[in-house]
Amino acid sequence: MKKHRIAVICFPGTNCEDETMSALAAGGLAAELVRWNQPERLSGMEGAVIAGGWSYEDRIRAGVIAARDPIVAQLRSMADAGKPVLGICNGAQVLIEAGIVPLETQDAAFALAPNRNPFVAGYYCTWVCLRKAGKNGCFTALVDEVIAIPIAHGEGRFVSSEKGLAESLLKKGQVAFEYCDKEGNVAHGFPVNPNGSMANIAALTNEAGNAMAIMPHPERASFVRQLPSKEKGNFDAWGSAAPAQAIFSSMKQYLDQGCR
Amino acid sequence: MAVETIPVTTYAEEELRSFLRKNELSLTTAEARKVAELIGRDPTLTELHVFNIEWSEHCSYKSSRHLLKKHLPTQGSKVIQGPEEDAGIVELGTIDGEKYGIVFAHESHNHPSQIVPYEGAATGIGGITRDVLCMGAKVIATADPLRFGNPYGKNKNRVRYIANAVVDGIAGYGNPLGVANLAGDISFNDSFDDNCLVNVVCLGLVKEKDVIHSKAPKDAEGFDIIVVGKATDASGFGGAAFASVILDDEQEQSNKSAVQVPDPFLKNMLFRASYAVFEKARNKGITLGFKDMGAGGIMTSVAEMCESGGYGAEIDLSKVHVSVPGLPAHVIAAAETQERFTWVSPKSFTPEILKSYNEEFELPCVAEGACARVVGKVTKARDFVMTHNGEVVCHAPIDAVTSGICYDREVKKPQRRFAEPDLAEPADYQQAILAVLHHPNVASRAKVYKHYDTEVQGLAIIRPGEADAGVQAPIPGKKHGIALSVDANPLYTRIDPYMGAVNAVAEAMRNVACVGAVPYAMTDCLNYGNPEDPFAMHDFVEGLKGIGDAARNLYLKGTTEPVPFVSGNVSFYNESAKGKAIDPSPIIACLGVLADYSKAITMQFKGKGNILYLLGERKDELGGSAYYQTLGELGAKIPIIEFTKERKRLYAVIDAIDARLLASCHDISDGGMVTTVAEMAIGGEADGRIGAEIDLSFSSLRADKALFSESSGFVVEVSPDDEHALLSLVEMQGASPIRLGVTKGSSLRIIKRGDVIADITLEGMKQAWATGLAEALQ
Repeated sequence: MKKHRIAVICFPGTNCEDETMSALAAGGLAAELVRWNQPERLSGMEGAVIAGGWSYEDRIRAGVIAARDPIVAQLRSMADAGKPVLGICNGAQVLIEAGIVPLETQDAAFALAPNRNPFVAGYYCTWVCLRKAGKNGCFTALVDEVIAIPIAHGEGRFVSSEKGLAESLLKKGQVAFEYCDKEGNVAHGFPVNPNGSMANIAALTNEAGNAMAIMPHPERASFVRQLPSKEKGNFDAWGSAAPAQAIFSSMKQYLDQGCR
Repeated sequence: MAVETIPVTTYAEEELRSFLRKNELSLTTAEARKVAELIGRDPTLTELHVFNIEWSEHCSYKSSRHLLKKHLPTQGSKVIQGPEEDAGIVELGTIDGEKYGIVFAHESHNHPSQIVPYEGAATGIGGITRDVLCMGAKVIATADPLRFGNPYGKNKNRVRYIANAVVDGIAGYGNPLGVANLAGDISFNDSFDDNCLVNVVCLGLVKEKDVIHSKAPKDAEGFDIIVVGKATDASGFGGAAFASVILDDEQEQSNKSAVQVPDPFLKNMLFRASYAVFEKARNKGITLGFKDMGAGGIMTSVAEMCESGGYGAEIDLSKVHVSVPGLPAHVIAAAETQERFTWVSPKSFTPEILKSYNEEFELPCVAEGACARVVGKVTKARDFVMTHNGEVVCHAPIDAVTSGICYDREVKKPQRRFAEPDLAEPADYQQAILAVLHHPNVASRAKVYKHYDTEVQGLAIIRPGEADAGVQAPIPGKKHGIALSVDANPLYTRIDPYMGAVNAVAEAMRNVACVGAVPYAMTDCLNYGNPEDPFAMHDFVEGLKGIGDAARNLYLKGTTEPVPFVSGNVSFYNESAKGKAIDPSPIIACLGVLADYSKAITMQFKGKGNILYLLGERKDELGGSAYYQTLGELGAKIPIIEFTKERKRLYAVIDAIDARLLASCHDISDGGMVTTVAEMAIGGEADGRIGAEIDLSFSSLRADKALFSESSGFVVEVSPDDEHALLSLVEMQGASPIRLGVTKGSSLRIIKRGDVIADITLEGMKQAWATGLAEALQ
């Protein structure tokens, strides 16, 4: 069977394209790099991943400027058409700023604010655990209940001024992942919640579940070799898939099933 | 039209001196007159600036070049490229029929970081990553050896400000660029109060056949010279010269303007566009020359590239894209504006280069004024010619420009006296141990490295904090691993500049061995005081002898070759205007290679009931130790490295890890053996749950000396099932293992002649160790 073609979108400042390409390939998908100034190349693509890093120097707020790039309008159409659209780290910030996630409006219902972290101010890179919170969907169907994954960001705190929105999204299954401890308990506060994110939110989806904004980096936790040494012991072969790769294999399964 | 020349040959001595000073030229009057002699006439102002930079210590290594050549081994069977170019290249191995190399470079950015710490440290990362990229490599890792003043001393506020801003600068540049932090070390003491050290190390991956050299290739006559990157401005003008003088408070303002302005976002794009050019050139079989624009800007980059290819160059400075109009010729020629490179390309390929930068990656839209432009050509005539607005501003023999000068500086042995303190045995061992664990030179570095992206590119196997060295799998899908560590203890070199340097090499190698990697190559950054001071020069020469002897005597495993120095840097004039020199600091980076990265191990205990062995007897060698530091003492007896024993232990550890016999391994360094064991229990993330019981009966030393001596060695953990096999392996290598204890319980129990002299809970140790650095940086 022909592999599904997935665009890996790079803005000026993206720096996670290599690991994103590797993880998609390992997940059975045909990934192709697409620069921000090549929107025409999106036709024929069955899905898209906005890779992490920075965009336009993250001026004003991470993702704000890229969210107004012409290529993002096309991503919105892809999401509307039910195709999988994933934003990782800076990509998540772009999807949130564009309003593609979580409410499918032109306005952002959430923003990603500077971390609140009592240990390290600003950019923070560490490994955390995520608990699958939403319904099984496009990016989560094959994912274990609790997975280890790294974060690397300075502005990763999901916030919304709309009262009760986080709770209602949780109820509707749009909170895809929450920060949790090793046992899967969604304990509030640092260090389990590494950035002060509202309701421990690590990833949100749109209502249909086919567009997801995730702050941690599944593409850097897709192979057993990438895991911290303590986690590696639970697996047989270092070259094999690590739990977070299931986010990409779920994406493939969703495409195999005709985006349903 | 002729440009005005400066009558250096006819000026009176005082007149010339004042002219040079007024124009911020650090040439001596004799050197200025030598310029006229070399070019056969009075020079133009631009020419004086050219020689000013080329003859600076930073560019010409005028006090050190001949000594480096004499003392350092630089070649060997694993060397693809020695120190002649921007970076060295070490063989990683042949994979699917292609030979891969690791590009390895090491620099300092000390003075800029002292004056403007964020920008200084950021541009340090910027410069070293450019050096690695321009060998045609994918840039994959950085490491940062840092030295700061005393965070509890009389300059504590400034010291803390500088330390925090340097760390922010490294993060603020390296993170957006997308190069993972793999290793580093930090050390604090008073000698760095007025002159911090910010060294930077960088690694890249390249196939041997794809290496691009920083010189004009064969048959390059008529090739285009292309300047790419940020629009040239006046920033960093005089940077190389500034690196070659002592920092003076009164000149703080002009010093500040010598620091460059970092733009990691533009650099990120330049990297990606350059990778695209590499690919196009590979596909078309085109040979190019590519060089970083660092010290001395355009003129150094172009002159060195064309000269080393056997050519001359002609460039038109009016064609260089500038950010402000009206910059004088010598500023355009020599400004050290960041984020720029030079290409030498056949005319037929030039459009491809311009297209990658200017159209595909749209540099002009991403950063104002940034682009790629043809500014000149390679000439057969061996002259370096620069024109500006139709006038010739520089016309000098190109070899005269680049050949530099050399000084044989006076060396004089200083009379220094050090004595061992007469200390009573600690009444409370728990307190003594916790004080060492809490000391800023020992405590957890998490506060710093958690600020760096250690994961980007997805290559990390062992990250900072998990072990003595960081490990990456540079080629996804292949089992080859590389390990990197950086080291030097400034107090050892303060006491003994020779043996301290030997220790730096040995410890860097031990660290790499601790994860199971074979030390393959090293780089050195030699940070010293004023070379015109015979005492400082003595320390420098002793340091060079030390690292040279260590490299020659700690062979490349399996051979009797030295472990080569493939790249390096010398940084002199590290002292304050008050004449206080820093501790001699030969900082060593060691690159190791693992045939199979899945064998790499960390320092943390893996199981209860395992046996702990000590490799390396304990000696009364506490000079410069962390223990003495906690007591306000320096001491005199630093660890002596015995090369034969050191080699045997290194090989024993590497072979034992290769045979999968060790559960964990940690070298003995700052804080001594007890710190080693404590850190193995605590774990890099301070989440360890396994304690240990150790027995000091093997040693005739007083307990505090046995615990805190920093004599070279390792502590290893082995499961009872593997104990026999380990002992025969270690004994076969000729290293004598000492049974130290077992892993058990949830505390560190220390026994001496049947008495428990300390029993410290894991929680207590974690608390002390995890907070020591954070408190020092608050």
